[in-house]
Amino acid sequence: MELNLTSEQGLLRDSAAKFIGAAGPKIARKFRDSDHSFAPQRLREAGELGWLGILVPESAGGLGLGLTELALVLEQAGRGLVCEPIGLAAISAAALGFAPKPLPLLSRVMTGDALVVPALQERAHGDDPLEPSTEATGTGTTLQLTGQKMFVCADGADGFLVSASGRDGPVLCFVARDALGCTLQPAETVDGRRLAALYLDQTPADLVSPYPSSRDAVDALYNLSLVALSAELLGVMEEAQRITLDYLRIRKQFGKLIGSFQALQHQAANIYLRTEAVRSLIFQVAGNNEPWRIDPAMAAAAKAKASEDALFVTEACIQLHGAIGFTDEHDIGLYLKRAMLLSSLMGNAAAQRRRYVAIAGLTA
Amino acid sequence: MFRHDTPAEASFRTEVRSWLEANLPGSLRDRTTRPPPVELMPWYQTLSRKGWIAPHWPRQHGGMGATLNEQIVMTEELARIGAPHLPVQGLNHIGPILMEFGSEAQQKKHLPPIIDGSVIWAQGYSEPGAGSDLASLATRATLNGDHFVVKGSKIWTTWGHHSDWMFALVRTDPDAQPRHAGISFILIDLHSPGIRIRPIVTIAGDDEFAEVFFDDVVVPAENLVGKLNDGWRIANALLGHERLGTSNPQFALQALERIKVMARATGIIADPAFQDRLAAASINVTALSAMFSHAVELTNNERSLGPESSVVKIFGSELLQSLNELLIEAAGGHAAMEEPVATNAGVVDVAVPFLFSRRVTIYGGSSEIQRNVLARRVLNLPA
Repeated sequence: MELNLTSEQGLLRDSAAKFIGAAGPKIARKFRDSDHSFAPQRLREAGELGWLGILVPESAGGLGLGLTELALVLEQAGRGLVCEPIGLAAISAAALGFAPKPLPLLSRVMTGDALVVPALQERAHGDDPLEPSTEATGTGTTLQLTGQKMFVCADGADGFLVSASGRDGPVLCFVARDALGCTLQPAETVDGRRLAALYLDQTPADLVSPYPSSRDAVDALYNLSLVALSAELLGVMEEAQRITLDYLRIRKQFGKLIGSFQALQHQAANIYLRTEAVRSLIFQVAGNNEPWRIDPAMAAAAKAKASEDALFVTEACIQLHGAIGFTDEHDIGLYLKRAMLLSSLMGNAAAQRRRYVAIAGLTA
Repeated sequence: MFRHDTPAEASFRTEVRSWLEANLPGSLRDRTTRPPPVELMPWYQTLSRKGWIAPHWPRQHGGMGATLNEQIVMTEELARIGAPHLPVQGLNHIGPILMEFGSEAQQKKHLPPIIDGSVIWAQGYSEPGAGSDLASLATRATLNGDHFVVKGSKIWTTWGHHSDWMFALVRTDPDAQPRHAGISFILIDLHSPGIRIRPIVTIAGDDEFAEVFFDDVVVPAENLVGKLNDGWRIANALLGHERLGTSNPQFALQALERIKVMARATGIIADPAFQDRLAAASINVTALSAMFSHAVELTNNERSLGPESSVVKIFGSELLQSLNELLIEAAGGHAAMEEPVATNAGVVDVAVPFLFSRRVTIYGGSSEIQRNVLARRVLNLPA
């Protein structure tokens, strides 16, 4: 179902769609086979278009737009299998921009000259984002962090937004890539990208304390990242669906186009159904929440649903392609792998449902 | 939900909630089947006198002209208090259709009695030989000067035996090709001579449906809506409204509440495996609410939603069914019992809503037909 967009939002979506015209499976394959995860120049282009500062208040030099606009851009990034970490950069910029005294780094993050990414996850399962085991010691605005983060999109990053437990609860800190005691151990993902374990040993860190408290900052960045990942997953679903419908319209078996077979038509309808449900959910959440105070139950719901349905859809798309679908030469597998990456980050469907149980009080 | 009320919406919510608490009789709360007219229509008329019977209708026709968010607030509050399902054929189906396709005279005659609840409408689409294959319908209406003569029968007519009027699809050109080009949309007074109505009892034990027989029934020509043989287009516009109406998240929200009460009563709420399924169901209810408001928003802009409305019908009906499956799982041993189950949070009906939910993926076009519609008309897959 079409979204009800303002003309400005429509233009934004068109410009994002134009940007991904230069991305897509071919480019994603190129990065898969190289030492670089993305093109820094393209990240700067996204910065020139304003997207990296899309949520940053105008007073801090950003566009001051909302979640709908962020989702529109990231949906396109998902469709184009874009490798530049536009979403991570944009939400990190938002965190830096919401601080009462934005860090000097903010302007370079918004232009794409510096890359800052969140580092909130600590375990494969069962993370409580508000009770990180990474410890923060010290007082004032400079702290020392000790601990370990996992699944950090560290390639090309100049620094990280790290959650840690301080004396009065969770804090959000900026850690420079080259800070003392900060080491990274990268490993390859299924789609040829890299995620790193981040080790911190008495590492100096700057307290980022945006609206209204540092505890809220951790929660807010976490929920924001769930919505951002969900929007990107939506784009992955949409493009996988488009590719598969095209295939159903040209592939012949038994002397007929296979898209005319009812069993396949019904599975195509199921794919459409899942995609539409995720689209409605994400844009309702986006349209009804402020970027920096997203209802945690809604963020968990969006990520749980998008993670589960994106896997359903991309798996079904492979099945509908038949044998060519499980070959590396066909592009449809790239969408499954991107769905695997995005759905597992920051808590997969099961982990988000677990959080939802707690937040919504579905317990005895 | 995904939305924070604005101050105006919050005060509207408070107003709706306290008014419902004060005015909805206890005997009508948490009913799992539609109460009979003698119980339900006084409540309908109470809502009508309050001006709240048709939130989605424009003010010029006696509706509230409510904003989308106000409509959602009302839906949520009606669900919260366990309000009964109202008869919707007038409010959601023929009303909007007459506003879009009816003559001024038809609007003047038929819309006010829908608002005040003095007339109950029935829908005459399916026939014994035309269910999923609706275009094969055979009930004949022969134009004879200033009137039609109608012969044939309709089935699965919701509240047929309680209704005063029927909007019906009838065959006015038996030779037309394709078949749906010979179908017209007419309004039939069910108190006319030559009509016989037989209630049908369902597996849930209610008699929500009826079979209606027409034996040379005379219908004035002025009761034709739109042009002769142009009924299929109107029928499809109406199906859009119907698909949307049956997916109102009010029903899913009520089912979810019922599951929580039952799961706490039996203790299964403490089981993490059950909690996971309950969370998945609850998240899907949120997604349904999102999809429903998305679709209503589009409908408000364009009058009738196209074939995409099938997506909401499938999602809403299959979700309602899976919620009721979760309900009988939560109920454990109680699931086999016909009588409602007493819990410390009140009496909960289990078997009846479960059995009731089997129909929702069939009526209004089965899930399979809806998937055909999506595949052909939305996804443009080949025939």
